[in-house]
Amino acid sequence: MLTREEGEEEQEEEEEAKGRRRAFSINDNVDLLAEILGRLDGRSLAVAGCVCRLWSAVGRRDSVWEAVCHRHVAGGGSSAAGGGCSTRSVVAALGGYRRLYRLCIGPALDRLAGSAGGRGSTTTTAAAAAAHHLSLSLSLSLFSIDCYERLGGRQQRPASLLFLCKPVDVS
Amino acid sequence: MKRERQETVVAAETEDQKGKARMEAEDGGVDELLAALGYKIRSTDMADVAQKLEQLEMAMGSSAAANDDALLSHLASDAVHYNPSDLSTWVDTILSEFNAPSPPLPPPPLSPATLQHHFDLHPAGTEQNSTITTVDIPSGPRCPAEAYHLEPLHAPAVTGRIVNGSDTQSEVSPSSRDRKRMKLCTSPPSSSSTTDAATSPAALPVVVVDTQESGIRLVHALMACAEAVQQDNLKVADALVKQITVLATSQGGAMRKVAGYFAEALARRIYRPQPARNLGGSTLDFAAFDDMLHQHFYESCPYLKFAHFTANQAILEAFAGCRRVHVVDLGMREGLQWPALLQALALRPGGPPSFRLTGIGPPQPDHSDALQEVGWKLAQFADTIRVDFRYRGFVAASLADLEPYMLLGPDAGDIDGEEPEAVAVNSVFELHRLLARQGALEKVLGTIRAMRPRIVTVVEQEANHNGETFLERFTEALHYYSTMFDSLEGGVSAASDAAGSGGRRNQVMSEVYLGRQICNVVACEGAERTERHEALAQWRVRMGRAGFEPVPIGSNAFKQASMLLALFAGGDGYRVEERDGSLTLGWHTRPLITTSAWRITSAAC
Repeated sequence: MLTREEGEEEQEEEEEAKGRRRAFSINDNVDLLAEILGRLDGRSLAVAGCVCRLWSAVGRRDSVWEAVCHRHVAGGGSSAAGGGCSTRSVVAALGGYRRLYRLCIGPALDRLAGSAGGRGSTTTTAAAAAAHHLSLSLSLSLFSIDCYERLGGRQQRPASLLFLCKPVDVS
Repeated sequence: MKRERQETVVAAETEDQKGKARMEAEDGGVDELLAALGYKIRSTDMADVAQKLEQLEMAMGSSAAANDDALLSHLASDAVHYNPSDLSTWVDTILSEFNAPSPPLPPPPLSPATLQHHFDLHPAGTEQNSTITTVDIPSGPRCPAEAYHLEPLHAPAVTGRIVNGSDTQSEVSPSSRDRKRMKLCTSPPSSSSTTDAATSPAALPVVVVDTQESGIRLVHALMACAEAVQQDNLKVADALVKQITVLATSQGGAMRKVAGYFAEALARRIYRPQPARNLGGSTLDFAAFDDMLHQHFYESCPYLKFAHFTANQAILEAFAGCRRVHVVDLGMREGLQWPALLQALALRPGGPPSFRLTGIGPPQPDHSDALQEVGWKLAQFADTIRVDFRYRGFVAASLADLEPYMLLGPDAGDIDGEEPEAVAVNSVFELHRLLARQGALEKVLGTIRAMRPRIVTVVEQEANHNGETFLERFTEALHYYSTMFDSLEGGVSAASDAAGSGGRRNQVMSEVYLGRQICNVVACEGAERTERHEALAQWRVRMGRAGFEPVPIGSNAFKQASMLLALFAGGDGYRVEERDGSLTLGWHTRPLITTSAWRITSAAC
């Protein structure tokens, strides 16, 4: 009898301890989650968005993608302080950082990494971007051309960024 | 093009030659080139078949000279029964028709699709296709997309040595120049230097020739034709054009296409010295089609993007600190240059200026106001990024029609004590057209100068296609456009998988776009020859005379341009160079387009 009560008590204590440990869940600290997600690269972030609804919502936040973009382009971080606000508003007007990444930065990084890989280098994507100095201004220029093409509702699909498309493997 | 028998023979011969090479690849030892075309011949048999084809050609030639239609028509109808893919057998049977009838051997079947490819190899616009009658090959619809599939096949084979090189040469020259060949056994003396003359067919040595050599031969033929045209020797030129078209098919990739366009342009020049149809910029249909081609050219290769980005950078730097800016674009088209500038101005430290754009364009065929539509789109865009934007469009058939007072408008001067607006003038591939008319360029430069611009950005082709003699222009153009086409091959091939047919369509469109320029440089004269490209050194002189001095384009533009090129798949060949302050984009060692910036000479200010 005593042994069983003790056992139960121990179990309860253990459970309480576990409960205290389990009390910290990342899903309760959304800002922290956003911080962490903002340090991923584009593909991982997109994958993370498939985990659950909350992660998907957080992963869609433009601020998260803004962090991702700035992390992956050279010269983007340095101008964040002064021109950050105006950049943000312009990018938001053009379609947002997530779209900027999807249309311009992502394919460009892949292309640069691909060509770097082709030359036998094994640098990571971020390093490759730095090595090739993909700048925010260039990405924004390409993005703005694409945005402009989509205005006016022409039938033909905008194709100014086609040159960035990754070759599709149909094997 | 009227059907001439020797052309028929020539065409038949050439396809036979190709057929031979094809077959080799498929059967261990079957030649790959011809195999790709649907002809099966073993490399061991090649020499044999080559000899027999020569005999056949001579026999047909001689019988043609003797006006013996019966034999040929008999051959023409009966040839249907012989499958030409097994070439040695086919040639044997045909030859035997001349000597004695023999039963046809059942050759291995071949899909008609592969045979069809042979027709696709002909460059656009050639007249050869209609004359092929002897052999029953289905001439299906031309699908350029398929033709390019063949190029990778050809490339490795082409570097090897191919028998047909010499034979093509040897059969073309006698057939086009010497119809009356009576003897069966003489080898043609006029062609390749390495063919020996022999009296008996059995002892006729067939020489293996490098395709490199046939490439050189092609260039020589082009030059010879141009010389003939310059000397007004139209008969020789005509014969050479046909030879070129045939030779071109033995090449692969860019060289073939370039040769095709040049051959077409030469043919136009030969047959229509006073063109009934304008190849310059004045036809209305031309203008509309040209816009579409221009769009595809923009998408598929970096030249226009390079031009826009570097010019924008120069303009951005010139506008530093100005609160009111005015840009005049001498060739508005779709206005693809300006969204990037607007965005850069919106993000510059200090905020965006108030921006005014004046776009100039040619009159539209359907009287639609394309300029106004473009202006509307740009206004929408500027509104999105909150830049104060005003637009004005000008329709002008020629830039020389413009006067300064039209462009400056009422807002140019001081308004309420504010500083006058800073003006930038931008011209991408527009100024060279003015050289067609005497005094037009001087007038336009004067107009520009009267607007007191802060900066004038000029992008032009880096080539001298405005030489005194036709031959000079032709040679320059040949080298220039060969390099351009090479860069298209290299640049688009990698990206073409991505967009699938879209990428290839872009490449084809870009080639047509360049083909038009080629046609204009080669076939037109006088006021219609608007593609009067000149090199930077010449533009410097002209701008200097008009009172402008060069402004060095900064390193930012250089970095941006290099970055942009790194993004193009297959962009390894592109090079950005800085020369005396102007930026040049080239393919490997050959500079192709140059962006330069100018301002009014400060002494005169």
